Amino acid sequence: MEDLRRALLRAHAGLSKFDPLSRIIFYDDFDRGLQGWSELIGNYEDSLDSMLPGYEDLRPPMLSNGTMWDTGSAGSMEGNYALKIATRPRAGHIAADVKRVTWRRRGPIRLEAYFTFKPEPAELRLSETDVRAVGVLFDIQDEGNRWMPHLRYLNSLNGEHLARWQFKRRSEALVPVGVTGKTRSHFHLASTNWENLPDGQQTLCYNEIATKYNWHYLRVDLNLASRAISRLQCNDRVHDLADVEPMIMPPMPNLWCMLNVVLWVETDVHKRAFLYLDSVILSGEW
Amino acid sequence: MMVRQNYTAVVERNRVFRGDFATEPYECGWASEAIFFVRKLEISGDVAGTRMRVQISGDGMHWCEEGTTLDLTDSEVDFAKVRHFGNWLRLGGALPVGTSIRVIVALTLKE
Repeated sequence: MEDLRRALLRAHAGLSKFDPLSRIIFYDDFDRGLQGWSELIGNYEDSLDSMLPGYEDLRPPMLSNGTMWDTGSAGSMEGNYALKIATRPRAGHIAADVKRVTWRRRGPIRLEAYFTFKPEPAELRLSETDVRAVGVLFDIQDEGNRWMPHLRYLNSLNGEHLARWQFKRRSEALVPVGVTGKTRSHFHLASTNWENLPDGQQTLCYNEIATKYNWHYLRVDLNLASRAISRLQCNDRVHDLADVEPMIMPPMPNLWCMLNVVLWVETDVHKRAFLYLDSVILSGEW
Repeated sequence: MMVRQNYTAVVERNRVFRGDFATEPYECGWASEAIFFVRKLEISGDVAGTRMRVQISGDGMHWCEEGTTLDLTDSEVDFAKVRHFGNWLRLGGALPVGTSIRVIVALTLKE
């Protein structure tokens, strides 16, 4: 049975580049559209002004065929279109998009994706430190806890090329929103409290100028039973996750079985930063 | 049955425009038709009659006037329709001195 399953996956041009667990929860090839990805937004009551500032402007996703001013359309890794997440041209601005599902068994899950990132090619310069970070986070709740694995690739900070993976386990303050007492919010993507993965250095394929991009493989495994991040792999590197933990907090009233996936990009300069996803697959053992 | 792709991107939300402005570029070459909806949450001064302009770009960085305009009215929502726009769209304009609007700009796209 397992051999047959593997053979069928290998025979599928899109799926053969992934190693999904037994059940595919979603498989998003962006040649088929935006596939349910949308802008992340913070909680609010009565007025949009009640939202925490970090959540005000996380930008809608786009479908991009990778068109460059100098070479035309690059297309995606497979086909023509990729999901594109773009910041504003303001240093420190973050763009973040989300897909929201629920889980049905507390077992292993696996996110895989092919991604790349680049700054807007507004200058004829290398610009390899213009994108500050790209990341993936999960927002999960079970009967005991809400927990939020956060992982990011810190490409640069204030112009210094750092090229390392980080995680975040310390929660940001949970603050009331509005006046009913029913709504709270915390800006967990804040720049504070990121920690380096042990031996988390990794140089990716930036490729010389801002209009060339190369696709990278990403895999993140979680165990919903033990609330653990069990694997981070990017291309040929499987990172050491010793001491790497998710944020954990008490459960909240209306989030039962939540399983959200968020992808984001942050710019280090007053120039737009772009994160592209050729395809994303979430699978699980259930 | 294949149905046509349709997607609404909120390209500006709760943003205040005053003086010269432009919405963030939106890449949407997959779509063949689009409508910009401008919903005014708050108006300061007399902005009725102010003309916004649909702008297109071949690279997302250099812009030209497409020719379609959106005239602000006293209604809560104004719109402009555009077709045959290539790969990038935005809405630009200039508000009269001393006026401002707080808006939600939604771009509704269809294959």
